[in-house]
Amino acid sequence: MLIFERIGSFFGIVFGIAADPVNLAVLFGSVLLGILFGAMPGLTSTLGVALLTALTFGMDTALAMICLLAIYVGGTYGGSYSSILINIPGTAAAAATALDGYPLACKGEGGRAIGLTTTASAIGTVISMLFVVSISPIISSFALQFTSFEFFLLALFGILISGTLTSPDLVIKGWISGFLGLFLACVGRDLLQFYPRFTFGFMELESGIEVVPVLIGAFGIPQIIQVLKDRTKIAEAQKLQRIIPEIGTVIRNIPAIIRSALIGVGIGSVPGIGEDIAGWVSYGTAKNTSKHPETFGKGELKGVLASETANNACVGGAMIPLLNLGIPGSPPAAMLLGALMLHNVTPGPMITFEHPTFILEVAAILLLASCAMWITGMLLAKQVVKVLRIPAQLFMPIIGLLCIIGSYSLGLNIFNLYLMLPVGIICYFLIEMGYPIAPLVIGVILGPMADENLRRALMVSQGSFLPIFQRPVALILFIIIVWTVISQFEFYDRIKKKVVLFILRKRERSTAGSAETNNSGEKTTD
Amino acid sequence: MLEKDKLRKADIFSGGIMALFGLWIISQGLKMPMKDSWGGVQNVWFVSPALFPLFVGAMITLLGVLLMRTALKTVGFNGFKRALGWLASPDLIRFLKSPATMRFYAIAGLFTCFVYIQVPRIDFFLCSVLFLFVFITMFYFADDELLKKFFLFYLGINAFFLMFFVFDLQTKLEPVMSQLAGWSAGFGIQTDLEPALAYPVDWITMAFTFVYFIYIGVAIRKTPELRKKFWISLVLSVVPPFLIGTIFKYFLLVPMPAEGLAVWLLDDIWYSYFQSWFS
Repeated sequence: MLIFERIGSFFGIVFGIAADPVNLAVLFGSVLLGILFGAMPGLTSTLGVALLTALTFGMDTALAMICLLAIYVGGTYGGSYSSILINIPGTAAAAATALDGYPLACKGEGGRAIGLTTTASAIGTVISMLFVVSISPIISSFALQFTSFEFFLLALFGILISGTLTSPDLVIKGWISGFLGLFLACVGRDLLQFYPRFTFGFMELESGIEVVPVLIGAFGIPQIIQVLKDRTKIAEAQKLQRIIPEIGTVIRNIPAIIRSALIGVGIGSVPGIGEDIAGWVSYGTAKNTSKHPETFGKGELKGVLASETANNACVGGAMIPLLNLGIPGSPPAAMLLGALMLHNVTPGPMITFEHPTFILEVAAILLLASCAMWITGMLLAKQVVKVLRIPAQLFMPIIGLLCIIGSYSLGLNIFNLYLMLPVGIICYFLIEMGYPIAPLVIGVILGPMADENLRRALMVSQGSFLPIFQRPVALILFIIIVWTVISQFEFYDRIKKKVVLFILRKRERSTAGSAETNNSGEKTTD
Repeated sequence: MLEKDKLRKADIFSGGIMALFGLWIISQGLKMPMKDSWGGVQNVWFVSPALFPLFVGAMITLLGVLLMRTALKTVGFNGFKRALGWLASPDLIRFLKSPATMRFYAIAGLFTCFVYIQVPRIDFFLCSVLFLFVFITMFYFADDELLKKFFLFYLGINAFFLMFFVFDLQTKLEPVMSQLAGWSAGFGIQTDLEPALAYPVDWITMAFTFVYFIYIGVAIRKTPELRKKFWISLVLSVVPPFLIGTIFKYFLLVPMPAEGLAVWLLDDIWYSYFQSWFS
């Protein structure tokens, strides 16, 4: 009965949103803006969400969520345009798409590939939306039993796993990046005793570092510097033919689409890991499970479908830990968390009590955004492709101006600008030296949660760490954290090899021993 | 990202910097109340505000040292010595003067001047036009020599502004501006010009934008293929600030960081003609 009630209220929300023309206009406008952001090399969905956060500040929460989720969905999908047509991924999420997308476009099948990826992306988003609706109540009720130790460990796990999986170079750099984020979160008066930490007498730092300007700086400024410094040249776009996909091809690929969507949801729900990893993992899985892996990289439609379905399914996946635990599942989700906080919505286990219909609203927006994305993709693909001709040198300075006014407008504080720029330049150097930025951002967001919960937990236990080993969830999280860290070192591989060898030898000995006993038994009977 | 070989050498330094940074965090953490009383509350170590910074500092130090160790193991001591030697060699100067590095200086310099000197003090619309005009022309023309010239020009403008604000020339200009207002009154245009003359720095910004316009025109006179790019740059420098600024100022009701001549003019237009449409 409860399920039917939930389904009923879900569709009620869907129709409620769709019935308002303002909502629809914002939805389609934001999806289109997202597609443009995703399609233009150098701009990302994270940057799109970051810049739009400033614009949605004055809107009511529901409309702001429509705007931000729509740009997130559109931006994730939009990256496929430049990947397929000019062999430059518009976003990191679409990097795997370029491997097979561009060869398809060279064969004159660019339109077909875009049509199919549009459909697959929409299906991927819808599947992820189903997971948001179905899994969220379970996770929420489970998370309600968490105590401060669990929350501290969860925040630490989020930072470490994000550092481990997003690091383009050494894993240590990912972890350092995460701890740098935690340091930034320490700035300001501490939440328990209001002691000023690292404020250096600046009044503006007393309330801590504002998250959104830091995020805008961390994602926007390095992007502008990289694109303009390296003078990225854009190739001539391949021509588009028929875009509407053949239903037969879609149906034939449904199992692959569902598999990729599940991979996307799974990866998206791991804290801090973005759509790019989902795309690569799904592409790799499609290649490994294919009967003809040699066709991948030469224009295989399944490769394009795998990465595009997974990266869009990641959007819903990233919403699961964000809404239920307050831990962002991807960098754009981190931006969304910042936006939600601005609108006085605090995601976490209490969200179902404080805002009972919020998760359903998010799911409804995801459903509508995927429909809007499909319609916009089908109708405007040929027009959107034209933006690929705009040189980055023309729009990047304007993005710079948007970063500045966006950072300032949240809080109307010039100091945000003074902070945003150095953070951006430092992040640029970190990126150049192989440090990932996502863990830093996750660290800034999860820092207060980790700090507060660690001290609160120790207060309850009177300074004892023993409860970690007494509470099952805390223990599991602790073991996972220790394993995540240890498994990255060489000695772990050596120990693992020795253990495996030891077990194999023991098995061999026991089988040899039992064979000998059998032989001797046979001899005795003889 | 750098190449792998260079990256490892850079890791030795970045790991060292991180370790030192971690130590600094620890030293700052140790200054925070650990067991003594703060705000009437007797502290214990596990509620101390220092606990988390100490943990973070210790982790950054440890990871920094680990990074250094890993990098040293890969590069070897000789590699490290070579990297140190590179820092004292003419190669470093060559790197610092390379076109890509120049482009980085240009972007960082533009943003720094804009954010720290102009945005807080000059009308947002006007300084944005100048910023975009310089920024777009510097990179859209795709000529490193022109980039250098334009960047130096922008630096010169900002050096002037810096002096202007440091020596408070605005106050010193006030008698001149009131004199101008007096002359304008003589011509019967007092009501129109008097408020506008209250923003000398905005007039100077507009003058600099015009001078920059002329300067580019002179710089590209021998390269006709840049003329089209020049006009595109001009349009894209003027339209977006007014579009973005108008949305923020009049639709989202966000006051601009500094409001001057352009805002005064836009306010006049907005409240006289458009506000009734949207209210």
